[in-house]
Amino acid sequence: MKQHLITTVNGQHIERDVDPSMRLVDFLRDELLLTGTKIGCKQGECGACTIIMNGTAVLSCILPVMKAMNAEILTIEGLDEDGKLNPIQEEFIKGGAIQCGFCTPGLIMGTKALLDKNPSPTREEVREDLSGHICRCTGYKKIEDSVMKAAERLREESHD
Amino acid sequence: MNYVIAESTAEVIEVLKKANGLACIVAGGTDLVLDIDTGKKSAGTLVDIMRIPELKKIELVDGFLEIGSAATLTEIHSHPLVKQYFPSLAKGCRTVGSRLIQNVATLAGNVITAQPAADAGMSLSVLDPQFVLVDEGGTRICGVDGMYAGFGVSEVDSCKTLLTKIRIRIPNEHEAASFQRLELRKSLSLPMLNVAAMGSISGGHFDWVRLRMAPVGKGPVRAVQAEEWLAGQPVTPETFSHAGELALADAKPRSNPLRGSKEYRELTLPVMVERALLDIAIQLNALEG
Repeated sequence: MKQHLITTVNGQHIERDVDPSMRLVDFLRDELLLTGTKIGCKQGECGACTIIMNGTAVLSCILPVMKAMNAEILTIEGLDEDGKLNPIQEEFIKGGAIQCGFCTPGLIMGTKALLDKNPSPTREEVREDLSGHICRCTGYKKIEDSVMKAAERLREESHD
Repeated sequence: MNYVIAESTAEVIEVLKKANGLACIVAGGTDLVLDIDTGKKSAGTLVDIMRIPELKKIELVDGFLEIGSAATLTEIHSHPLVKQYFPSLAKGCRTVGSRLIQNVATLAGNVITAQPAADAGMSLSVLDPQFVLVDEGGTRICGVDGMYAGFGVSEVDSCKTLLTKIRIRIPNEHEAASFQRLELRKSLSLPMLNVAAMGSISGGHFDWVRLRMAPVGKGPVRAVQAEEWLAGQPVTPETFSHAGELALADAKPRSNPLRGSKEYRELTLPVMVERALLDIAIQLNALEG
């Protein structure tokens, strides 16, 4: 039996009748057509499906869709500002932190959640916080460097 | 399936009672969702407890730290009271899965899923926790050994009973605890072995030690022989080493193709015990010489 879901995704109020056994990632991709959020393992082990829910990075592949009830959800599609990429996205591009790109939306959302809470992370904190993201192209060093650059840039911009 | 977002403990018990075994509690859901998917578990109704305000609390009450069953592992290991009084528990909680798992999974869930080497439950096990359980019949308190029925099987039936909070006595100045983990990689990986210990030291001797290890049996296994011998022993490297050997008497490790052979685990377990006891001695500034 379907249940009524009320939620906010990328600032947009959403109301839908959903199958409560559905996972949140399937709702985002199949119902809202927000396919920027990727499905990798669908077991909570690769981080590709990471989104931000109520300010916290979570794995949308292992969350029942009803966990989104009255929540504020941000996906990779909601990150740009008036068509301009977020500084984290720009630093990932500049730093060569994107190879095949499959892990990238999850990593960028994980990075945003980290930097929103901790604008000046150490490299060790970056590694620990993003440890749940697997990049099979194994470009971890460039990812770490890009996160540090993005943090630096966001700090500078907040002082402007 | 039906999904209920509960607003109070009373509502949880009411829904469970009405469903007569067909409804099941879900907290973080990081294991349960996958178990339902693979058919290991089933539920006509899931009762989500994560928005019940009283279950989110982490607070000091009458000399005990009380951790609500809906507090996430991240909320626990980043909490100032946990970091101050129970650094070994903070370490155990921040070792589970990855930060993304810790952001939704709970300490209560880590105990209820009853996986023997679950890091958060293991680090908790030596702190003499009291588990506050509520069901149709009322409230009762259970200790660690009343929580684990077998490998991945809890004594607590989440279709009938709600774990509301975990109470841990604040340690005095003679007491400290340690959590040690042997691992292939630091995240997204179950440990090859983990060991937790808590002890009291005065006058250069152990007053008592609680020592548990996993995965070497059902749940966090007590190293009974080592515990009994350690009481009254001097705080020296020789003591740590002998206790490590004694711990083997209560351990029955199995071979696992991913996480080490029985023989490797038997060789490394004493080292993990030594490290845990050394860590306690260092924390209490009690190492002789």
